[in-house]
Amino acid sequence: MDLMIRRREFLKIGTAAATVSAAALKPAIAREAREFKPGGAGYSPLSGTGREAVATACAQCVSRCPAIGYVEEGRMVKVEGQPASIRTAGKLCARGQASVNLIYDPDRILYPLRRAGKRGEGKWQRISWKEALDDLAGRLKKLRDAGQPEKFMFHHGWISASADRLINEVFLPTYGTGTVVNQTCLGQGARQAAFQLTWGAHEDNWDFANTRFVLNFGANVLEAHTNHVALARILATGIAERRFRIVTFDVRMSNTAAKSNAWIPIKPGTDLAVALAMGNVVMNEGLFRGEGEAFLEFCKVTPRNDATVAEKVEALKAHLAPYTPEWAEPISGVPARTIRDLAIEFATAKPACVLSSRAVSSNYNGVDTERAILLLAAITGNIDNPGGRCRAVVPEWSYPKGPQDRPPTRRLEILNGFDGAVSLPINGVGHQVLKMIKDGRAGRPEVYLWYIYNPVYANGEVGENIDVLKDEALIPFTVAVTPFYDESAALADLILPDATYLERYDFEDGVSPSQVPEYYLRQPLVPPLGEARDFKDVCCELAERLGIPLGFKTGEEFVSKACQMTPEVADKAGGFRGLTKAGVWHDPGAKPAYYGYRREISNEEFKTSFLTEGVIFDEEMGVYWNWKKAGVASEAEARRVGYRRTPGAHKGYEAQLMRERIFIGFRPDRINKTGYFELYSAVLAERGLPPLPTYRPVPEHAEMRAGDLVLTTYKVNVQTLSTTQNCKWLTEIYFDNAARIHPTTAREHGIGDGDRVRIKSKVGEIETTAKWSHSIVPGIVAISTHAGRWEYGRYASKRAPFGVDDAPFDRLKWWPTNGTHPNWVIPNSPEPVSGQQRWGDVVVTLTKA
Amino acid sequence: MADEREIGGRESEEVCPAPGRREAIQALAGGLAATVAVAAATALSAPPTEPAPRNGRGIQYGMVIDVRRCIGCHACTVACKSEFDVPVGENRSWVEYVEKGEYPYVGRSFLPRLCNHCSIPPCVYVCPTNATYKRPQDGAVVVDVGLCIGCKYCIQACPYEARFLNPITGAADKCDFCLHRVSKGVAPACVSTCVGGARIFGDVSDPESEISKLIASERVTVLRGEMGTLPNVYYIAADHTDSIDARRPEVRQVEVDNHRRRKHWR
Repeated sequence: MDLMIRRREFLKIGTAAATVSAAALKPAIAREAREFKPGGAGYSPLSGTGREAVATACAQCVSRCPAIGYVEEGRMVKVEGQPASIRTAGKLCARGQASVNLIYDPDRILYPLRRAGKRGEGKWQRISWKEALDDLAGRLKKLRDAGQPEKFMFHHGWISASADRLINEVFLPTYGTGTVVNQTCLGQGARQAAFQLTWGAHEDNWDFANTRFVLNFGANVLEAHTNHVALARILATGIAERRFRIVTFDVRMSNTAAKSNAWIPIKPGTDLAVALAMGNVVMNEGLFRGEGEAFLEFCKVTPRNDATVAEKVEALKAHLAPYTPEWAEPISGVPARTIRDLAIEFATAKPACVLSSRAVSSNYNGVDTERAILLLAAITGNIDNPGGRCRAVVPEWSYPKGPQDRPPTRRLEILNGFDGAVSLPINGVGHQVLKMIKDGRAGRPEVYLWYIYNPVYANGEVGENIDVLKDEALIPFTVAVTPFYDESAALADLILPDATYLERYDFEDGVSPSQVPEYYLRQPLVPPLGEARDFKDVCCELAERLGIPLGFKTGEEFVSKACQMTPEVADKAGGFRGLTKAGVWHDPGAKPAYYGYRREISNEEFKTSFLTEGVIFDEEMGVYWNWKKAGVASEAEARRVGYRRTPGAHKGYEAQLMRERIFIGFRPDRINKTGYFELYSAVLAERGLPPLPTYRPVPEHAEMRAGDLVLTTYKVNVQTLSTTQNCKWLTEIYFDNAARIHPTTAREHGIGDGDRVRIKSKVGEIETTAKWSHSIVPGIVAISTHAGRWEYGRYASKRAPFGVDDAPFDRLKWWPTNGTHPNWVIPNSPEPVSGQQRWGDVVVTLTKA
Repeated sequence: MADEREIGGRESEEVCPAPGRREAIQALAGGLAATVAVAAATALSAPPTEPAPRNGRGIQYGMVIDVRRCIGCHACTVACKSEFDVPVGENRSWVEYVEKGEYPYVGRSFLPRLCNHCSIPPCVYVCPTNATYKRPQDGAVVVDVGLCIGCKYCIQACPYEARFLNPITGAADKCDFCLHRVSKGVAPACVSTCVGGARIFGDVSDPESEISKLIASERVTVLRGEMGTLPNVYYIAADHTDSIDARRPEVRQVEVDNHRRRKHWR
């Protein structure tokens, strides 16, 4: 009795205490308010001594947030946000906080490894860096000397800005290969293509700080986004303080949808119909008047560049006429009334911000979905304005360009998908590369090296990926550059142990939510563990060995030189030294970048300074462009071929003639488009595609039979695609990805909550557990993309590849499953305009296992 | 006024740490031994590092969690794990998800959790070695790992499941409001990284502090107020639906979930 408090007594006290606490609140005794610093310093919880703080940048996801790392007796112990950052204001998400798990992952690869058995057999021999690079450099030299540098294929995932410049812009072109593949097509491909077609820039920013209404097509910005923390913190604050309403369309109730004022369930792949119907309402109800009408001055809506606003309005009305809310209702499942109300709310909020994401653009109609969403923003005047959707502002780094006397690069024609499948593969079609290698008609690489990338796991059709990578006849030599033993590294011939991002130098260029660029660096907290090396350093050494020195010897030197060459950093941020100390820098006097397109070239300016040497006018497009900057041989040639048909002419873009006035307009970054905001795309028209956003249903969805379901994949807040599952603190929170299914749909298929189920598509099948959920629409099955790993170490999978004993921690791993990877059943299938992987269009059958 | 003090108003933190279990329970049960306990606590406790309490009112650290600002992102969960290198399978700080309703009328809310640093902390009263005590200088409830014998009484006594036996140290473990940071003027790790700015830390007995102003002006709640533990963690706009509600037949659909539950109640 002594030991335990009797419940009865406890409750008695509770009542008494409750009455007292109210009285106790009463007297107010003046006392100094205590302020706590938000961060920027760290202390050992055991000894209380200060920890060494090192300004750096996270890279757990593509947001690349400024951060501070803490080191205690040579061991990295903690990463926090950078309080001085205008992007994150000192916040860092769960993924970033778990960074420490990466460095000290017990299954980390610490030495170069050479395959000892058959490819994929899992037998390895430790070798020295000298042996490893002798082998690799030897092969690269042989290819180059044979005049076939393109047979060296480089494939990368989300890499740092400096790695992108050093490797993609300097090392590989100097070596001579253009067979370079990225993973844009897996996530942002369709969005970026739509952006490039419409307003030139390839990234956007959502100005939550100034908006009054947020209309969200499927973006889960509170959990995962290419600029996650920077945007999530402002969005969360705005929602909490009721500064705006937010309404979210999604096939499942993400945390973003849950925090919205309304979650509006929608059928997969039909956001385009809703966006077009909203456009219809805005035009028919005259809601474009005012800001929308003013913005139409800067829009191209018809084939003619000199159309009046009245003509543009008529053209839009005519084009959108069939897309009534009543038309969209049966397609999308969203009531016509809701579409109409939201269109009115969006158009009259002034300003309003429209969001979109991979979820709505990785469909058959992805590019037009994004274009229709841009149209909606344009006709309501919500482009590049405070509170609207803006072109992204990033720091502009200058950097050493390496030797310039290099021959043109050569490339294998396997980067853009099969002939005719993709009209405008501006960002490449990387998910088709292994298929094209299998096919062989466009040639095959001799050496396939991937860096911060996991081709087996990250793409669809996992089974085929494995078959192709395993086949030595298809790819004679494979190299994985990675700190961790993942599913693809298991199929490599050579593994080069990479430094984690906490062990290297980088400059970065994340998007600023406030439209003011922030410069920041990443620097090592500790030296690379074991014999791991930063791949940037390795590239410098490979270049030396190949007799093509780049002009700098390490990644650090490259970053340091970039700091010298970038005026803002050199002059105002204290250069490399200043920036490594402060971590971040922005110009406190800078004004946020809005309405940049409106800058007009006055008559005076036109006469005195605008027409510099090389600037000519292109009659057809109304574009002033500099043929010299575009790299054309002579003015005569530039005039003869013209802006539209000259490859790379957009590099020389200067300004746009808009009905007798000249504006800076919307500068193109990849496509020879006009400086107009192109709702009407001549580039698409030329390729026989509808020039204005046009509804096309997803063919697979149109052909569904009774009982078929649409598979949806999604992301969660504590994992990043394929890179964080070895972080034990994240994986213990999210380890299982049961197939979520609406109870009605489950019952129709005879599936109980918790049943084992088989999910089958035309390319494969998986077995997983069904989980009933009321937070997804009927008719779909939702599986997140983060689980089901069969490699990547003991925390991500059940396997410790090198059998390292990590007692006493091993016995603490408690989760019973690692889930199921959905990509086994997802075909690698390109969206027809951009080549975006169509994650959202997969039709499956569901049966009890 | 005297009665208020005895039972544990604002001065209640001075009631503990109790010199012995017997006295503690007496204090808890009837408040009769309060004066004795106060005297003993002053004698036994470690020398305060904070300024001495003025006018009989010490600092009482507390936290307000504004659930309107919480996005359920677990940044706090992991920041805490990292700050203290908390072993896999245990948490000092975590976030519960509450999902309710039937399609399409559904909602999800988040409930960040940590030790409540109660003014009447049951864990303190049951501790046989005084390893767990409430610091007189700031009201934080802490564990002296050196004195803890790992008997788990406190883990049983805590109505909030805030405590666990650390498998590496063998001692009871839980949130300590990051006193190693706070004593240096830096906010607790979870507060520092909270993406939505949902956590406000400070002295709840200082009427000028931000936290006191929030408690005064917002409709705040505490967890399990009926237990009489007087928690010092307050919530704004929390959904208190819990696993008990989930079992009520008339409630159609409630799911309370987090990884910690999955480990301990799977």
